[in-house]
Amino acid sequence: MNRTILLIEDKTSLSETLKTLLEMHQFKVILAGNGEDGIKLARQRQPDLVISDVYMPVINGYELLESFKQDSDLSNIPVIMLTAKTEIEEINLAFKKGAAGYVTKPFLFKNLHATIKKVLLV
Amino acid sequence: MKSQQYIKVSHLMNGIKEPVLLIDPSELTVLKANDTAVELLGGGKRKAITGKPLQMHYGNGQQLQDMILPSPGDSFIITTTLTGSKILIDFKANRININRKPFLLAIGKLIEKKQTLKLQLQHLEKEKALHEMKANFMSMTSHEFRTPLTAIASAVDLLEARLQMDGMMNSFYQHNVSKVSTEVFNLNSMLDEILTLSKIMSNNYEVKKAPVDVMQVLNYLKFQYFSERKDERILNLKISGEPRKISVDKNQLSKILTNLISNAFKYSVKKNPSIQLSYHKHKLVIKVFDYGIGIPAKDIPHLFNSFYRGSNVDHIEGTGLGLAIVKTFTEMNNGTIDVTSEENKGTTFTLSFRYEP
Repeated sequence: MNRTILLIEDKTSLSETLKTLLEMHQFKVILAGNGEDGIKLARQRQPDLVISDVYMPVINGYELLESFKQDSDLSNIPVIMLTAKTEIEEINLAFKKGAAGYVTKPFLFKNLHATIKKVLLV
Repeated sequence: MKSQQYIKVSHLMNGIKEPVLLIDPSELTVLKANDTAVELLGGGKRKAITGKPLQMHYGNGQQLQDMILPSPGDSFIITTTLTGSKILIDFKANRININRKPFLLAIGKLIEKKQTLKLQLQHLEKEKALHEMKANFMSMTSHEFRTPLTAIASAVDLLEARLQMDGMMNSFYQHNVSKVSTEVFNLNSMLDEILTLSKIMSNNYEVKKAPVDVMQVLNYLKFQYFSERKDERILNLKISGEPRKISVDKNQLSKILTNLISNAFKYSVKKNPSIQLSYHKHKLVIKVFDYGIGIPAKDIPHLFNSFYRGSNVDHIEGTGLGLAIVKTFTEMNNGTIDVTSEENKGTTFTLSFRYEP
């Protein structure tokens, strides 16, 4: 069965390419352009995994992680952070707030794919 | 009658060009002032200051009531003279004994006119704000640069996957697709290094030391940056001794290791690079080995200078900033770095960090 990934990313040039790449690896992909829409879509569609940017409009990635943690419908969905922030403090903060994985931009798709497989245990 | 010792001190005070005050430490009263002090503080009138309490502003009579001078070397500043003109005299008070009685002998240094000092402070504040603005701008810019770089890298990945899926991949496409991808990551590394150096140059780096498990940092770096390489090379790891945490800035250690390991992969083309962690009694020694072209002896003394590149690396990408950053961060964390190299055999970088109690 195809796993569903919700990709929350405000840059469409990246999200569309990533969507195609993920679909080529048999994932179903839902796109959201900001954290608020991402939370709404996560509630509606209950994806197997969320990949989210950190710095984006409306609700940022850390606030998104907090919302997921506090919501019983969302707290079991793993979230991988995808961000240009490479500082260890940022990475630690993301894991502290409940991230299941962290990939820094720019990245090779195979590294993101390896993280997805690790998180989904596939 | 004044004692011989007191007279000697008076002569001594008048022989000094700087303003000097002899102060009663219990009452903080000015007992004696030399000619320069009388001129500067009392407008030439000795009686205006001697026998009177020490004041911070001689114009409006604010006394130094809260001032306690507990030990020699303490200082105080007098900012206004009796005539009301603004001055800044930085006095250093020294405890002396005259006939076994304690006194404070305060020798002053006229520093700058208050206005000048204010301007200098304003200038410094502006400069600080400018440095901060520059660092923030660099940080923001590098973040913004990474966005299109990520889009390019992903588009290249997609192109490669599509060419393979459609059975159209050949050596020409493979070569050029890899080239674009490599250059995107080179550009990203350059951006990182310029950002780091800019932060170092504007003194914007704070060393946040905490106990760090080096193995944990290495495992993260291996997974994030040095695994699943196209050429299938891996980083060999050797550990000896009982692992202990070291007190360093985790972010800076991670940068040091990333730079050294990246270099090792860059130069150790035919053989896997390796890293060795030796936990000694008092220190951790980290050695990063590459088995590449080596560094000519004449280049070694300049290796850690910014923008310096070895004379035999023209064909290999690099900014010449990585090792300068490595050395700066190592020293900021009280570590040492050393390099040994043999041409066409390889290079070893040795880092050493003492455990802190």
